Amino acid sequence: MALNRKIAYINLTTGDIEVKPIPLDVRRKFLGGRGLDAYLLLNHSEKGCDPLGPDNPLIVSGGILTATCASATARTHVMAKSPLTGLLGSCNMGGFFAPEMAWAGFHHLVIKGKAEKPSYIYIHNGEIEIRDAKNIWGKTTTDAQWAIRDELNDQEVKSLVCGPAGENLVAFANVMTGIKNAGGRTGMGAVMGSKNLKAIACRGTMDIDIAHPVEALEYNKRFIDQITSAKVNKTQGTLGTPMIWGATNSWGGVRTRNFQYNQCEYADDIEPERIDEICEETMGPYHMSGCFGCQVHCRAQYRIPSGPLKGKYDEGPEYTSQGAFGGEPDCTSAETVLVGNHLVDQYGMDNLEVGSIISWAMELYELGIITSEDTDGLDLRFGNDQALLEMVERICFRKGKVADALANGGIQASRIFGKNSFDYLIQVKGMSNLHSDERATPGLALNIATASRGSDHLRSRPAIDLYHLPEEVLQKIYGNPVPYNGKLSSEHTEYVGKPWQVFWQENCYMGVDCLGICKYHTTFLGATLPNFEDWPKVLYYNTGLEFTPEELWEIAERCNMIERLFNLREGLTRDDLEKGDMLNHRYFDEPTRRGAPDVVGRTIDKEKFVRMIDEFYEHKGLDKKGKPKTKTLKRLGLTNEPSHML
Amino acid sequence: MAVDTNKMSGAESLRKTRTYGKFRCHNPTCMGRLEPKPGDDHVRCPVCTSEFRVAWIRKDFPRIRGPVWEVNKKLAEKAFKKKMEGK
Amino acid sequence: METKDKVLMINPEKCTGCRLCELVCAVKHDGASNPSRSRIRVMKWEMDGVYIPMACQQCQDAPCMGVCPAGAISRNDELNKIEVDYDKCIGCRSCVAVCPFGAMGFNSIDKKVFKCDLCDGEPQCVRFCEVQAVEYVDADDVAILKKKEAAKKLHATSHKIALKKA
Repeated sequence: MALNRKIAYINLTTGDIEVKPIPLDVRRKFLGGRGLDAYLLLNHSEKGCDPLGPDNPLIVSGGILTATCASATARTHVMAKSPLTGLLGSCNMGGFFAPEMAWAGFHHLVIKGKAEKPSYIYIHNGEIEIRDAKNIWGKTTTDAQWAIRDELNDQEVKSLVCGPAGENLVAFANVMTGIKNAGGRTGMGAVMGSKNLKAIACRGTMDIDIAHPVEALEYNKRFIDQITSAKVNKTQGTLGTPMIWGATNSWGGVRTRNFQYNQCEYADDIEPERIDEICEETMGPYHMSGCFGCQVHCRAQYRIPSGPLKGKYDEGPEYTSQGAFGGEPDCTSAETVLVGNHLVDQYGMDNLEVGSIISWAMELYELGIITSEDTDGLDLRFGNDQALLEMVERICFRKGKVADALANGGIQASRIFGKNSFDYLIQVKGMSNLHSDERATPGLALNIATASRGSDHLRSRPAIDLYHLPEEVLQKIYGNPVPYNGKLSSEHTEYVGKPWQVFWQENCYMGVDCLGICKYHTTFLGATLPNFEDWPKVLYYNTGLEFTPEELWEIAERCNMIERLFNLREGLTRDDLEKGDMLNHRYFDEPTRRGAPDVVGRTIDKEKFVRMIDEFYEHKGLDKKGKPKTKTLKRLGLTNEPSHML
Repeated sequence: MAVDTNKMSGAESLRKTRTYGKFRCHNPTCMGRLEPKPGDDHVRCPVCTSEFRVAWIRKDFPRIRGPVWEVNKKLAEKAFKKKMEGK
Repeated sequence: METKDKVLMINPEKCTGCRLCELVCAVKHDGASNPSRSRIRVMKWEMDGVYIPMACQQCQDAPCMGVCPAGAISRNDELNKIEVDYDKCIGCRSCVAVCPFGAMGFNSIDKKVFKCDLCDGEPQCVRFCEVQAVEYVDADDVAILKKKEAAKKLHATSHKIALKKA
């Protein structure tokens, strides 16, 4: 059964491998997935360890429900100290890797040390082997996966790999599985590269016994019906995540020309419907695909329709690619978006960071802070599609002064570029913001400022804030499983009640990440999707463990606090622009210029924003400096961390 | 057993409010209900006069494809000017 | 439910490759999540985006039935399916070798062959497949449904050609 999946400690320096069961009391405290990963990271890393050194533990996991009879339990989570931010590194991806790892007998891997030569780990039905990767090193993400299958002579092997960018220690190199499933953020691919670890390959045929199979099957049907009937998921299943970009751009919530505008005008060629047309032309009417066990099927298949890479197959593009290779650099060609998406998939880089950081460099270029001499003659202007794609390649292989600087991440690069380049960098904690513009949405701004892994929408974004849901509906959602007596506002431009919404979402997302379920199956984009009240049932039927919604809420709070403790240990301070919970000054100073009439002319009110952070800290049980109060740690049972239970 | 199978969760009960065939205006504080006629590729918000292009996910399921650029751009410029004067 | 002449109809084009069918099949029959126990398996060509679910075709002249030395495999006309009598089965795996679709599996945990039993008239793979890549339909209707799908495509193509000409 799911609870007998094990944890393995693998030391690449010595070759030692130790396998342990995961005790039930640890499960009851941290469940699994991201929550338990955070606990392991805090316990297995030393303060101030070098993110690219052998002592940084790389932790790979599936959630407690991975591969069980619940919907979309496909998520793999990877955690380590981030080479990009120097704080918490964490990424989460779909695909088929985590289920395969669970069938092979494992839920968590803690990988330490550094292999002497390029290596990969092979896990097969409880056995773990460290193998030579000389035939795989240097290969792109997909080539590497197929080469591993050929070498092991097993086409069912699922691998998690880093691409050339990871090998080259690009600070935002990602880990990937399949064609496009990417654990994109915080540079976990570089951590793999620094360990000489090219891949983790899994193959398993071990039963995961379901505690109550008949009920699990029936409840799963109800759960899936609930998920697939949501309007937003029907749209997702047709257009994929680009539908989000389309809607957001329509009202003016898309960062354009780095941060100069909040809408990409006349972007008809990169609208979701246009991309869908290309997918249909190149892959036929049924061109959507899904991750393991998921009926939302939001992943589009396409072939590049034109240009030098015409005919190349890939999946996506996600809305992040529309932002990265469309809106942010102000390139409005579908081909550029599709090619850019393909390049980052093959090289193994975070598309979001790549697009964002190149757009920043474009703004610096137009301002004269970097010159054509620095770029070796490349005309790095906004809207220059060729320069954009060239830069993607240069960054991956660290070619030239500018690209090499950018490959170390924005903050490092700003020190090299000097002048006031840092002022233009749209980041929090050293990680670039996604392509969204939060100046009209204080709740979302609070989310990116306080997200544990740096500027990020998947940590605590109250995305349904944009739907103008009636207050009683908001109360129904946000007043469960613990009561909330404060005010909530349907108005997304408001500041009131948002800290609670962000706090609630933070716990909700931690919940799904511990379970190993996708965020499209919870209160993220759809108000009618399952959350705390529904999870105890899936958990009980599949694992036999009984929880109340309140207990799951507390677990989520505890896991989030562990992440906070890690960040505090590594130097997070509240107002620090590089390592704190603070936004770039442009959010407060530059009004939005485009979009719907009620969106133009908006900035974040700094005073109100600071008060929101105060209130958010209050909900989390932190003091004004952002440090946990003693009573909070006591309540969550975290007074003795690191407690080394595992 | 701690699990009550038959009780509807908050999320499940909210499902009943779903409507097809309509969407809301993308002008955030307007949020007027727009109901394009089947097959229409344009719709104009009767409340705030913003205009949108329409795409159809299914026959009964329309969504906003994007703004009618010329119209909404002018509205935005006007609103921006007014707001900056007020400051 | 009238199941006499019903068959699984698989439409690979529609398959999203999520393998939920494998999961629910194994859970339904063995109470465990393990695709190697599943009677239906999705074969993939990832670099082409092609996913093809494979399951027993319940052949009229079933090679597995013919090859079985123990006479353990027979046709159940009531449910229109081929079934294995485990009291007679000797576990020789001849049926696994001979099946042209690879639809007869061998479970190395329980040391038994296994195949699709159409869940006795309520196939779970069909019930859970939201995109209807696997359907449970009257055998007579399969051809007509396929014809309709093909005709729709032809119509779409000729329509496009006409549009291009115009």
